Amino acid sequence: MSNFQLLSPELHKDLRVITEHSVELGDGVRAVQTFPFEFRSVQGHYPIFLQKDAETGQFQCMAMLGFEEGENLFLEAGRWTASYVPLMIKRQPFLIGFQSSAESAEKKPVVTIDMDNPRVSKESGEPLFLEHGGQSEFLQESISRLEYIHQAHEHANEFVAHLLELNLIEAFTLEITMEDGSSNQLHGFYTVNEEKVKELSGDQFATMNERGFLQPLFMMLASHSCVGSLVRLKGLKDKAA
Amino acid sequence: MPKRIKKIVIVGGGTAGWLTAGLLAVRFNHADSDVSVTLVESPDVPIIGVGEGTWPSMRTTLQEIGVAESDFLRQCDASFKQGSKFVGWEKADDSFYYHPFSLPESYSEINLADHWQAHRDQVSFANAVGAQSLICEHGLAPKQITTPEYAFNLNYGYHLDAGKFAQFLAEHCTNKLGVIHVLANVNQVLADDNNCLTELKCDTGKTVVGDFFIDCTGFHAKLIEGHYRVDKTSLKQYLFNDSALAVQVPHPEKDSGIESCTLGTAMSCGWVWDIALPTRRGIGYVHSSDFIDEDQASAELYGYLQKAGCAPNQSDYAPRKISFSPNKRESFWVKNCVAIGLSAGFVEPLEASALVLVETAAKFLRDNMPAHQSGLEPIARRYNTMMHRHWADIVDFLKLHYVLTQRDNEYWTKHKAEETIPDSLSENLALWSVATPWHLDTPHIDALFPAASYQYVLYGMNHRTELDPNWLVPKQRRWADALFQKNIQRVRDLSSALPTNRELLEKVQQYGFQSI
Repeated sequence: MSNFQLLSPELHKDLRVITEHSVELGDGVRAVQTFPFEFRSVQGHYPIFLQKDAETGQFQCMAMLGFEEGENLFLEAGRWTASYVPLMIKRQPFLIGFQSSAESAEKKPVVTIDMDNPRVSKESGEPLFLEHGGQSEFLQESISRLEYIHQAHEHANEFVAHLLELNLIEAFTLEITMEDGSSNQLHGFYTVNEEKVKELSGDQFATMNERGFLQPLFMMLASHSCVGSLVRLKGLKDKAA
Repeated sequence: MPKRIKKIVIVGGGTAGWLTAGLLAVRFNHADSDVSVTLVESPDVPIIGVGEGTWPSMRTTLQEIGVAESDFLRQCDASFKQGSKFVGWEKADDSFYYHPFSLPESYSEINLADHWQAHRDQVSFANAVGAQSLICEHGLAPKQITTPEYAFNLNYGYHLDAGKFAQFLAEHCTNKLGVIHVLANVNQVLADDNNCLTELKCDTGKTVVGDFFIDCTGFHAKLIEGHYRVDKTSLKQYLFNDSALAVQVPHPEKDSGIESCTLGTAMSCGWVWDIALPTRRGIGYVHSSDFIDEDQASAELYGYLQKAGCAPNQSDYAPRKISFSPNKRESFWVKNCVAIGLSAGFVEPLEASALVLVETAAKFLRDNMPAHQSGLEPIARRYNTMMHRHWADIVDFLKLHYVLTQRDNEYWTKHKAEETIPDSLSENLALWSVATPWHLDTPHIDALFPAASYQYVLYGMNHRTELDPNWLVPKQRRWADALFQKNIQRVRDLSSALPTNRELLEKVQQYGFQSI
């Protein structure tokens, strides 16, 4: 479970954050949420699909990291083996919270830290605050990453809403043939229907371009070729095991 | 020169009028169409607002007229209805049975009612042949928030606020489907030499001209009765109920469970409906004024409210009285005029037949409306035949709920008297003492109630069908037993996957369903 606290120099003066990657540190996930803002970096490594959030039914863009529950094929000896680590992995253990203040009804974004996250440590890792006060470079980077995620999140919601409005999203079953010849059917995936994209008008393309949706749309389609790389990675891991 | 039908005029703006308008408007709402749909509504006549329960057919209807399900659920204060739960009908106690919307498992291939008889002492019929009754009993929803709109794990219709529903449909039909909305009282109805209606003179000075007219004016029956003088056939010799006392009450607690069945609880001289919407419950006592007076009925209803934990203070308790005579028209369609909704007929709301008849009627018009007035006569004849058959089925099926009771006061005993039971039902009951209901008992493809519905009520009421076990085919029996086992697992799977009805409705408020 998680236990988020508002980050404060007084309370969290001695905290450090472990930056390695492993199952023990919470990285054993089959898929992670991703955003059109980072599709350019994500699409070379991980297939991007849409999936419904089980709690809300809303579509989210997801980068696929493995095939089975809890399987992340990009972990090895405390390292993340691909050159780009998705934002939602990298943000750990921080999250944006929203706080209402006395002055305004509008909720203000604040930085929170999950005290139950295994990355939070007092012994090892990157310090959050400098010895004589002030934020460490690591923390400053983490905070600007959170701000970026906040914007990326809103943009992603608009992206999905736009695809839905144009009726471009379709459900599909991912059929995977593993290197050992076994085949699997994965359900609950959605993607963009390429035939329908071809039918869009010039005006519709122009609108998507203006709103920053066009490039990620094609990045997403291009990312599907990464399913093959995942199959190969899995084959290698299974042989090694 | 045959006269083309170009102007369709609907009179009356309740749920019947707007549903009909919506279904017709979609049919004619294309670029090359020269047909218009106009709805004339009196600004002064309030809608009756009966029909707060729908059948699963309403999902299709709403989808066909292009409504987003989440919008409908939010704006009509609607909830999911998975069937009916009947309490105390067999005996005057708390025992109950379900008539769920889902058909028995593998219904098109095997008659599980035959094979259930051997297990009848261990498990109720509904619980044996499907998952829905237990899911309802656990207060669970028919789907998840990730299920697309109108799709389901378990078949469902709706409970809704009829007033809000009419309003919602009115906005959708006028804004999206091009229905012309005229607010006016109709003062005069004019017809041509052939007695086909031609125009309506309104109190606003406006004249509405039409080629085809639909009477959705409720009990007023302004066209079918006001102009054509078509009489009504009373159904009271079969179904005695002619009055209702209705209240709307808040849920006992803010987060009380929302039943996803209509509760129908038998009383001394009728029964109480109990319909849970997200924000309130609508509860009413349908009874026969020949057997109980208003004060007694009112006291009995108050007793129900107390038992349900949602009784208002005595001083605030003022149920609305609705009187009706159970009847149907002798003809529903005359010349170029058809009556849909209460103007066509009305019986007690047991099994919520009101709105489904509206949908059936409107879809018939949509699919069969001739392009010229000269084609009307044969279509009208077919329509009248079909509708009389539906009404006969409704009477039979509603009556079935009463005839198997062991309740023994005058009201219930009279329901069992031979002269109050339609011949068609008597004949079937004789058959069903040695055979279970099956497809040929309801031979029409468009029958409102499939044989399965009869099975749910018969065996819910503990009816004995004397079946010799040797009569059954062993291979089929093994198949049936496997299906019974499979159903136990299905209940388990669904129970762990489905949210409560309230949880899902709250998520719909917040997030809504996806269209895919």
